[in-house]
Formats: sequence, structure tokens, C-alpha cells
Amino acid sequence: MQGRNGLPVCVKNMSDNGKEKEQVTLTIDGKEISVDKGTTVLDAATLMGIHIPTFCWHPKLDSIGACRMCLVDVEKFPKPAVACATEAMPGMIVRTDTDEIVKARRGVLEFMLLNHPLDCPTCDKGGECDLQDNVFHYGIDKSRQAFTRRRVIDDQTTDAFDDKRIGPEIIRNMNRCVTCYKCIRFNKEIAGEYDLGAYERGNHTVIDAAPGEQIDNFYSGNVVEICPVGALTNTDWRYKIRNWKAKQTLSLCSHDADGQNIMLWHDQRQLWRATSRRNDDIDDGWICNIARYGYQYINSPDRLKTPLIKKEGKQVPASWDEAISLISKRFKEIKDSKGSVCLAGLIGGNQSVETAYLFNKFFRNKLHTNNLDYRLEYIDLKGSDETEAYNCLYRAPFTIADLEQADVVFVFGSNFIKDHPAINLRLRKAYRKFGTKVYTANPVETKSADISLDEMIYSPDTETAFIAGLIHAIIDNKYYKNIDETKAAEVKTMLAPATLDEAARLCGIEQERIVNLAKVLSEANNPYILAGDYFVASAKRHRTANGMYDLANLLGIKDSNAIILASQANSMGADRVGVRPRLTENLKKTLIDKWGEELPESPGSNTSQILNNSLDEEIDGLFILGANPAMRYPDGPFVNSALDKLDFLVVADLFETATSAKADVVLPLAGWAEQSGAYVNVEGRYQKFEKAQDADKGIKSGIEIIHSIARAMDLSLNLDNAALMHETKDIVDAFEREARDEAKFFEVKQAQIPEHDNYPYRLLVGNDIHHFGYVTEHCPSLMRFTPEPYLEISPNLAEKLGIDEETLVRIESTTGKLVLKARFSEYFEGDVLFIPNNFSATEVTGLVSREGGGWVKIEKLDDK
Amino acid sequence: MILKESTIKEIKTRMERYPSRRSAILPALTAAYRQVGHLDNAVYKEISRVIEIPYVEIAEAATFYTMFPKHEVGKYLIQVCHNISCSLRGADNMLIYMQEKLGIKMGETTDDNLFTLISVECLGGCSAAPMMQINQDYYEDLSREKIDTIFADLRAKAEEEGK
Repeated sequence: MQGRNGLPVCVKNMSDNGKEKEQVTLTIDGKEISVDKGTTVLDAATLMGIHIPTFCWHPKLDSIGACRMCLVDVEKFPKPAVACATEAMPGMIVRTDTDEIVKARRGVLEFMLLNHPLDCPTCDKGGECDLQDNVFHYGIDKSRQAFTRRRVIDDQTTDAFDDKRIGPEIIRNMNRCVTCYKCIRFNKEIAGEYDLGAYERGNHTVIDAAPGEQIDNFYSGNVVEICPVGALTNTDWRYKIRNWKAKQTLSLCSHDADGQNIMLWHDQRQLWRATSRRNDDIDDGWICNIARYGYQYINSPDRLKTPLIKKEGKQVPASWDEAISLISKRFKEIKDSKGSVCLAGLIGGNQSVETAYLFNKFFRNKLHTNNLDYRLEYIDLKGSDETEAYNCLYRAPFTIADLEQADVVFVFGSNFIKDHPAINLRLRKAYRKFGTKVYTANPVETKSADISLDEMIYSPDTETAFIAGLIHAIIDNKYYKNIDETKAAEVKTMLAPATLDEAARLCGIEQERIVNLAKVLSEANNPYILAGDYFVASAKRHRTANGMYDLANLLGIKDSNAIILASQANSMGADRVGVRPRLTENLKKTLIDKWGEELPESPGSNTSQILNNSLDEEIDGLFILGANPAMRYPDGPFVNSALDKLDFLVVADLFETATSAKADVVLPLAGWAEQSGAYVNVEGRYQKFEKAQDADKGIKSGIEIIHSIARAMDLSLNLDNAALMHETKDIVDAFEREARDEAKFFEVKQAQIPEHDNYPYRLLVGNDIHHFGYVTEHCPSLMRFTPEPYLEISPNLAEKLGIDEETLVRIESTTGKLVLKARFSEYFEGDVLFIPNNFSATEVTGLVSREGGGWVKIEKLDDK
Repeated sequence: MILKESTIKEIKTRMERYPSRRSAILPALTAAYRQVGHLDNAVYKEISRVIEIPYVEIAEAATFYTMFPKHEVGKYLIQVCHNISCSLRGADNMLIYMQEKLGIKMGETTDDNLFTLISVECLGGCSAAPMMQINQDYYEDLSREKIDTIFADLRAKAEEEGK
């Protein structure tokens, strides 16, 4: 069923949690209908295709009946009732179209227009405004207003329209407001944020940020989108293009792994905005600010528009023909003289799954090398691949919407709001609507842990000890299922630290809390364990993954319910199509069938090994497509010297980056909105996105680039775009995974924590809340939220060291030094520091190394 | 800290009476108002910390009620009713007279910080209109003479207390 803007209408009762419902039959406008008990009259009418106008109603918010627009006549009711908050009752007789109702709705509209400036020609909401539509429908063309209209002016209102900026991106115009409170309800109910409020009352009501503050939460863009009138608009879109003149293209968020569905609004010249494209399986219609404003890098004037070739140590502009023939010549030379094992490829996690597949085919099938990877932002393991336990959990058949049925969710090592915005909202929904209990364990206090019943903070680098402790607690208290005592005793010997007491002491969490978590998990009917970025980024993640595997088996947790979450838009897709050195037997077979050829036999190298081999001069030619390891790989000195050592480096990217600066050939790459393709999200869900606009003439897509290099090397890939799309889909669909073996248990041993005597503080490096990866600094809207890098520090530690907010601090590790402004954290309490790695100006990865971890010392810079 | 220990203690005692912390917002605002004399953002922040309710919700509740003054006011807050009954009985003239007499406009405070004059809606004293409320007390059946006496008495009282 289609509703406003062609979007599907919610006809399912929201509290429907998979259970059968009692039915009630009522009559609306003379027709009978049976609906689930608990359905509102409004939803029932919608089911019958009867349109009832609304302002304050929203399918995903609780009804409050504030706007009075949906008045209907119910027999035996003394007065008209609001359809959105009246529950359908057996035998109810409802009329939605009587003269009295039309008059009542007109009356409501007349009040709404009392102070409305009627400035539709200059209002951005024009054309998609519920007030316009309803006034148009009910035809009020006379005003009885005898007074001057109310003005809402304070010291921050900027112009004749009484506009006031209430957040980095949001402008409020109070006179247009119909006080439906949708913005505030979204903020509080869905996002759990408290930076927007309604002050005063009645005619004087004012919607504004918290006094003295701004509305700048991570989901704040949604309040503009759900505003039914022009009271809230965002600067991203304001006064740029009328919405009916913009074209709409179905797209996806190109950053994080959740796969939020978005609509791109654009014309021939550029992208103008992104809005949500509700998908109840993933995002429920709410998108985070990165999905909303993160498209802007496509429009950036800093985009690379011509290939660059290094000549006498300097990169100079060149033609595509020149660049491609140079690449083909050098790759051929390396292949012929040293063998194809000396070539390698790295691809970013937000390239389309088709690009990733073609990349794989080019390297494996044409260049005959297994040296390729997409995991560029984490320290890889010593072996050529992740361990069995890790891979099993990483590919678990998880579905976001099923979280609503969870009774206990344990979030392990993740600032959920930052890593997985859509899953975070789903978890909040489960918590708020279905009473799901949430427990968290993290190295620092996080924003998303506000719904956590017990927020456990483990000492840095003790993830494994924590999970070993949890397993001890389960075995000691006999909470385990499916195994006998002998097996349990055997599992216990596979743990280090060897007792709960030791484990608890090492990770700095009281035993009782660990035992309590074990108990809650064991008593739950449908528990979940979700591991996020702190887990994935930890150096010893394979050890912890073993622990998570054992834990899930001990507690009999469903295969789909214990998962290590992927982190980028197409991480899962790259994994599915085999952009990694070692492949599963099933995938090998699929590829051999497709290609009609055996795969190369060399063992292949992952990211760390490729860089290592480059240092040892065993890899000479490297092709990096849409990735920036020099800025993001967590060992700056290592990655820089490895890239310097290469004989021949090709980098294709949208911008000049720290990595491209080292390249012999730089190719301008098209962004995701400039091509069609698909992403495979964290659940393994294959979703297509469409091309919104043509790239500049000098820019080529990853697919075109791979094809031209292959052609120049006389290695035709022989795949047009449609065939490529089909072939990729076939490979993705052929994915098979061995279920978690419930009888299998792995060793869980805490690794030695590196010595760091002179470096007392653990430094965490990752994404700022309003940034993701290395391209978002080209998004002006996101830069308004976080304009510059900073050192996040707990107020306690700052006080101890005499550091004030905004003062410059020197951060020093064994490998590097950095000076940054200090910013007090709202959440941190301990001796842990955080620096975002989204800004090219700070070489924060220079401070961390694979071996020593990220231990640093800091001092206040003397005022001069 | 603006709130005194005793005020915080009073708020905490009131909190115990309610099943939800939210219910304590109004008693907390009242206690703070009684101590401080008015409410502002700094006070909301402190209350928010004491009863652990988001700052913005305290501000929302406080601004909903016009009975809490949101700016610093004089020692005597004069709230003159100008609702229907009082208006019919000459409240507007009383307001003009009071402004002349005190030398201030509506919403202002006298230079000596003694009187703040505002108009309010019905105070439920219609039977003795026109009327006003000064701090916690009602003054009814107002006339110019009566106003002169009331102001003179309050001035004298303030001087007495000031000594």
C-alpha cells in the first residue's frame, strides 16, 4: 500500500511481536473490517484505503493525539474523536466524512494558520508539506484573524522570517510550527536524546534546543524529515532546489555496514540531499546523520578529476591512456620478471560488491595471485586469515529486525551508536517496547550504554580475560547447557586466566557482575551476543573470538544470535565474493565452476602480510582501489615504510590522500552515487543502489578502471555490466556457511599485555561519532558537527593532569608524537584517551603500532 | 552550587514519595524557587543532577508553568490579575496607576530592587475584583488609596528588615 510520497504506509500493528492477535470487527464509512485488537481507528481506515489527514501521527511513534487533525465521528461518542489514539472496538461505527467532521477539521486548520506566515513561496517544505496539502484539501481561503501575527524573536533569530539556528544543521521557524511534537517524540522515544524540548505552552509554545545548547545528536537529521511543516529545515537543502524539480534515486548509505536505505535527491548538476527510504527490516525509516549528510563528498570541489603520474619524484597530470599503459607495462614487467606472487591488490570496504568481485577475478583469474584483501583498517592476524571461530561468528546469519524478539542482548566491545546506527536504534526499540534487557562490556563508557543494565568497563586489552571470566562463571555455577560435567571441566582447562577470580582481577570488573551476566544470559530464552568495533579492532581478536564461540556453545545460543558485526558498507560483500587470501571450500568450488579454471596455488597474503612482504621486497606492485591505509591502518610507521618500499603503487581514489601521495600512478575514481551496483550489509543482505548522476568526464568507476587495465594487459575479463551484475549475484547467492559446531570448543587464552611502563594511558583510535572513514571530512554538514580532530579525555584524568578544555596537549608514544586540543568527554571516566582517525591533518595512526598497542603519555603544552 | 544543602535534602525527601523520579520535577522546582526567588537554566541543571532527569525536561516543565518567575525579581513580586472580572472592575486602570506610582513598566523591577510588576491571568479572586497577589498574599478590592497604603507598608517593612 502506498502512502505519502509513494512510501509504504505502516499497516501492521507496531506491538505485533510475532504473536497471534485477537480480532475486532468495526464499520468505517459503511464498510466492515476486521483488525487485530489494539489497532487504532486510523490504522484500520488506512487498511481500507480511507485517507484521514494527520500531523502528529507517525507509524513508528506512540500516538498522542496532539494535533486534532484526524477527528472522526464515532457513533455514541458525545464529541468527535481523534482516530490516531482511539482503539478499534467491536461494533464501533465510524464516519470519516460527515459535514460535522469536515467543519471540525477546518476549525483545527484555521487555528493552525492563525500565526502561520503563509510564506510558502520561500519555504523549503513547499510541495511536501502536510499543512499545504490539508489546507488545499479543506479549502480555507478566508481568515478571521484580527490581530497581528505572533512573532518569535530572540537574540539569536537571524532575519525577517524569524529563523533561528538551533543546531549545526537545523533551522527553526516557530510560526510555521503546528506543535505536533513529532521532533521531540522522535528524539526522546526513538533516539533517547534530550537536546530538544518544547517550552512554554499553548499559543506560546516554543520548540528549541535545550537552553544554552544545540540539537546536535547523531540522529538529529530525522527531526527535519518528520516535521510535517516547514518549522524545521536543514541548511544542507535550504533554498537550493525545489523538491519537485529534483530527481529521486534509490540508494544506500555508503559508509557503515547496516545498509540504511536512502533516497538521493539530485539534478544533472549535483546531489542535493539524502532522505530515508523506510525499510522496516533494517532502519524503520530512521537514518543517522552520516547516512543523511554523508553523500556530500560526491559534490566536493576537491575531487580528483585527472590521472596523475609520478615523474622525477613529482606527481603530474596525465591522460588516462598514458596512465593505463604505464600500469599495464609495469604490472607486466613485475609479473614476467618476478612472478605474479609479487603483485597484490587492496580494495576499500565501501566499493560495490560488483567492483569487489571484478577485482577478485582480475587478480585471481587473470594475474594469478591470491594477494588481496579488503580489511584495511584493522590489524590482521599472524596467519593468512582469521581463525575458524572468528569466521564462523563473522558470517553468522543475523537479522536486524529479529533483535526485537531478544530478551537479553549482550553488546561486547562496541560503541553501538557509532559502529551500527541502525542496529543501535533497533536495540533501543527492543528495550523500550519489548523490555529487552541490555548488558554491555567496553573498554570505555559509551553513549549507547545508557540503556544498559550493567555497563562493565574492562581494562584495555583484556577482552579475552573478560570472556574467559564469563566462561568460568558459567562452568563454576553450572549454567551451561548441552554438555556434561566432564566436558565442562575440560573446557575450563582451556582457559587462561585459570580462575574467575584471576580473570576478574585482570579485567578490573567485580566477580559478582560477571557471574550475574552469566546467569542472566543462561536464563534467557533468546539471548544475543553482538560484538562491534572495539572487539574487531583489538589486536588479539582471534583469541576473544574463540571465547565468544565457546560462550555461545555453552549457553546454547542460536547460531544467528552470536555475531561479530562487519564494519563497512560492503565488508560483507567483499567477504562473500572472496576478496581475501584464503577462501572457503564452497567459494573455491563456485569460483572454479564460474571461471572454468583452477585458482592460483600460492597461499596468498592479507593486508598486514602484503605490507610486510613489501618491506621484504617480496611484493613489488600494489593496486589500492578506494582505500587509504596510510591514514587508517593502525600502525602508521609500518604502513608508510611499506608503501615507500614498493616498486610500483597504483592508487584509485576520489581524493588525493596520504596513500595516493606515495603512488606512482593516481587514478580518479567514481563514487557510489555515480554508478549502479549493490552492497551486502552486515546481515548478508544483498541490496541494490542506483546511479544518481554521471561522474565528471575525467573520472572512471572502479569497474571501468579494472577493465581498462585488464584490456591493456591483453587479459580480457569479457564481462559487460549486466553480465557482471548477474555473475556477482550468483556468487553472493551461492554463499554457504557451516553452522557453528555446538560440540566444538576452542582455547581462550589472554595474551600478554605489552609492557608500557613509561606510557601509562591507553589510546583508542577510531571514528568520530559524526565521521566515518576518510571521506567524510569532505562533507560540509558533517564538518559542522565535528570540524577538527581532538583528544577526548575524561574530566577526571584532565583534572589530575591540570588540563583544561581546549588546551593543547602533547601525546607521545614509542612511535610518534602529536599535538591536539583536549576535549572533555561526556562519557569517559577512566585513564583512556580517544583520537578520531577521520582527519587527514592528524597522523594519529603514527601513535599506534601493531606490537606495542596504543599506549601513550600526555602532557600539557606550556603556554607561550 | 546555587541550591543549598537544605534545599537538596528537601528535594530528595520529596523524591522518595513518588514511584517515578519524573514526578519529583515540580516539587523540586518549587523548593528551588522558594530558596532562590526565581528559576533559570543554572537552577534547572542542578535539579537535573539531583533528581537524575534530563535537563531539557526540567526546563520544559518549568517554562510550562508561568507561576515560576524565570528572571531575577524584586523582593516583592506583584502579580496583577487582568482577567475578565478584574478588567471589568478596573484592573487596567490599577495597572496604569501602579506603573506611574512605581516608575516602572510592566515586567520591570524598581531601581531599589523592591518591586517587580507583572500581570497574570485569573487568580481565582473574582469576588473581590480587582485584585493582585504579592509574593504569597492576596490583596483584594483594590483602589488607588489602597495601593498607596500597601506599597507604603511594604516599603516600611523592607526598611525594618534591612536594619
